[in-house]
Amino acid sequence: MNPVIEYRAVCKNYGSFVALRDVSFSVSKGEVVCLIGPSGSGKSTLLRCTNGLEQISGGAILLDGAPLPQTRAGMRAVRQRMGMVFQNFELFPHRSVFANVMMGPLTVLRMDHAAARARAEALLDKVGLADKAASMPAALSGGQQQRVAIARALAMEPAVMLFDEPTSALDPETIGEVLSVMKRLADEGMTMIVVTHEMTFARRVADRVVVFERGGVLLEQGPPRQIFDAPLMERTRDFLSHLDWSG
Amino acid sequence: MNFEWSIIWRSREALLEGTLTTVLLSVVTMTIAIAGGMLLALMRLSRWRALSASSAAFVEFFRNLPLILVVYWAFYVLPELTGWQLDAFSTGLVALSLNVSAYNAETFRAGIMSIRKGQGEAALTLGMSEVQAMWHVVLPQAVRRVVPVLASTWISLFKDTSLVSVIGVSELAHVSLEIRAQSFRVLEMLTAMAAIYWALGYPQAKLVDWINRRYGHTE
Ligand SMILES: Nc1ncnc2c1ncn2[C@@H]1O[C@H](COP(=O)(O)OP(=O)(O)OP(=O)(O)O)[C@@H](O)[C@H]1O
Ligand SMILES: [Mg+2]
Repeated sequence: MNPVIEYRAVCKNYGSFVALRDVSFSVSKGEVVCLIGPSGSGKSTLLRCTNGLEQISGGAILLDGAPLPQTRAGMRAVRQRMGMVFQNFELFPHRSVFANVMMGPLTVLRMDHAAARARAEALLDKVGLADKAASMPAALSGGQQQRVAIARALAMEPAVMLFDEPTSALDPETIGEVLSVMKRLADEGMTMIVVTHEMTFARRVADRVVVFERGGVLLEQGPPRQIFDAPLMERTRDFLSHLDWSG
Repeated sequence: MNFEWSIIWRSREALLEGTLTTVLLSVVTMTIAIAGGMLLALMRLSRWRALSASSAAFVEFFRNLPLILVVYWAFYVLPELTGWQLDAFSTGLVALSLNVSAYNAETFRAGIMSIRKGQGEAALTLGMSEVQAMWHVVLPQAVRRVVPVLASTWISLFKDTSLVSVIGVSELAHVSLEIRAQSFRVLEMLTAMAAIYWALGYPQAKLVDWINRRYGHTE
């Protein structure tokens, strides 16, 4: 099957610092790919390059077979097709939960108010927060805020969802509710790239796990069973053994 | 020493007019300077070098000149440069607006820069243009955050309007000093002037304190 996203020898430098070095892999439609690896190994950088928040220094990123456009307008169109969920939610604090979810459809898609409203209602219902529509983000728990952020991204009906450590800023008791929303999304066939330290989630939900190491190098990739139970690389085993998790 | 406090009552109409002029001058100046300051701040943060450099030059020029100098400059030099013959009120308005716009520009710029980068990025990620991200996401938060600073600028402005008395704008200070000059009732008129400024300024200062409590330390 043709990949939705393909990374071809992607390089990213910040001055003389190399954040990504010749990273190549691809993501098929409906696939859930988890990116794992130590801090500073370039996982966030790769996501940010994917939706054009950063420009790559070499190689190519292809969306549906076409390289990411160089123009602002082109990049805007691409971003509409990729939802992004941040570690610290980045909900718009001055707008209600409802307004946050409607923001994309209203301003970007220029959808009429009633349709945007209906879409937001359905999505808030889907993430289990229909009763919080009128609240301000600050009044919600971290887990609730992150679910709103997921609904806000879904409101653009993206083809791909990018998650950058969506549960790292959460209290342990609210992590589960976010992961189960993500699991449901995966089950519905959403194409997802998830940077995570939640190895249990990666093992259960990922179709493929991609391991990065310091220096922005892709160490190895494979199905979760292989990566977690029989990694090919010694350094993958090292990394996993230093994590505190019960898989 | 004998006092003649009745001079204040007898001058009530002139004083009232002067007071209204002071209020009007402050309100119009602030209105212009909020729009002007916002425009300058957005120019300053623009990608286009020419815009950001000219905004920076404007702001640094007017922010670092004594207001009284700008007032005299607007009075003597501006008509020479532009050929416009403005009345005293408009001249004062120009001088004050230049000065306060420069201050507000810095206020708005600091406000915009204080908004986490992730906020703008979250907006871009939805597919918004940079203008939309600024308008819908960054500016509303930035403006809220700088309300306390704008409020104290307003308090300074309200008092600084007295400086334009030097070019004959008949605001409160000018009117009071005129009456003093004609009646030789120095102490009475200065007292009246102080009382009016204080009576108008004090509630505003209290309001600013309240605004600071309300907006000062939210996210
Ligand atoms: N704007 C930048 N300028 C310079 N260096 C940067 C910049 N952004 C990231 N880096 C560097 O690039 C490297 C990769 O960062 P990145 O955030 O992608 O790592 P990560 O794998 O997401 O780590 P973490 O698990 O801590 O989130 C880091 O060493 C970081 O310091
Ligand atoms: Mg990261």
